[in-house]
Amino acid sequence: MSQLGKYPNSMQDDRLAEFTDQALAGRLNQTDADVDEELLALEETILRLKDAFPPAAALDQSTVKQMQVRFNARVRREAREVKQPFWKKWFKPQSHLQLGMAFAAAAFLITFAVFAPSMTTVGPSTSATALTPMKNTFVVIALAGVILIFLWIKRRK
Amino acid sequence: MENISKSVIQEISDDALIAEFKGGNEQAFDELYRRHLLSVYKRVRYVIPENDVEDVTQEIFIAVLKSLSTFRGDSQFGTWLRTLTNYKVAEFYRKRTRKREPLVVPLSEISGRMEGATPKMLEERIFLQSALQKLPENYREIILLRLAEDLQFNEIAEITNQNLEATKSLFRRAITALRNQLDE
Repeated sequence: MSQLGKYPNSMQDDRLAEFTDQALAGRLNQTDADVDEELLALEETILRLKDAFPPAAALDQSTVKQMQVRFNARVRREAREVKQPFWKKWFKPQSHLQLGMAFAAAAFLITFAVFAPSMTTVGPSTSATALTPMKNTFVVIALAGVILIFLWIKRRK
Repeated sequence: MENISKSVIQEISDDALIAEFKGGNEQAFDELYRRHLLSVYKRVRYVIPENDVEDVTQEIFIAVLKSLSTFRGDSQFGTWLRTLTNYKVAEFYRKRTRKREPLVVPLSEISGRMEGATPKMLEERIFLQSALQKLPENYREIILLRLAEDLQFNEIAEITNQNLEATKSLFRRAITALRNQLDE
């Protein structure tokens, strides 16, 4: 606490408090000429705050109503999102395109992993051996999956 | 309880409104919102960039809505709301730091609800907000109580459990610290 001022600290406390009360009540718009430099600087700071954030400009009744409408809409929207199961959110049509692409890529890789061992390289050419019925079914399912995902992604666009 | 009239709701205390809300009366929350919106908004406006004031205010009231059922009434609702507001403001700045966004928004990015505010005023606001954010919490709090919420010194003394002289002294020290911050 500074002792440099003209007044003892407690008097400065009271003077600044009184100045603040007057300024916020709109009864004062400039600093008090009859104070020391230190207090004057503090009064200026109060006025700067008051001018930068004018109390009257905060909110009027119509703005309050509009804000309440927007708030209620947000509450309803958030409540809907919370109620939705997590897996539905993942498959939400408007979003997660990248997730869909990742699924498609994963399905393709699985298909390739199943299909690749049945390919044999003989000399310069590649030939495929007949698949076992079990593998055959799996490949068909995987391919169907890839096609479905592809169609689903395309439909969303 | 459910069919309590609007005029009655407007007259009952915060505690009674909270009890109504806990009993399933959603109108009670609407009244709490109307009653406290202005003080929350004014406080947020002092410390949050203009573009985000409404968003942060909404988040505060959503947090109130979610946690009001656990409010035990150990403190006054206003005090609890103030603590929640400060928490949400701190969270706003934490998120900004994490996203590496500048803590102070450039003037060019500010748009929208700026009625009546000149560019100079907006620039001054940003400057003051930045200085306020750098103050110790107790200094910032007393400035917000007096200037943002427009509480009288005796009311602040009551809220903070201090005597009037100590409150005025803290206020002067807070303004001195702010002044020093602005001069840096």
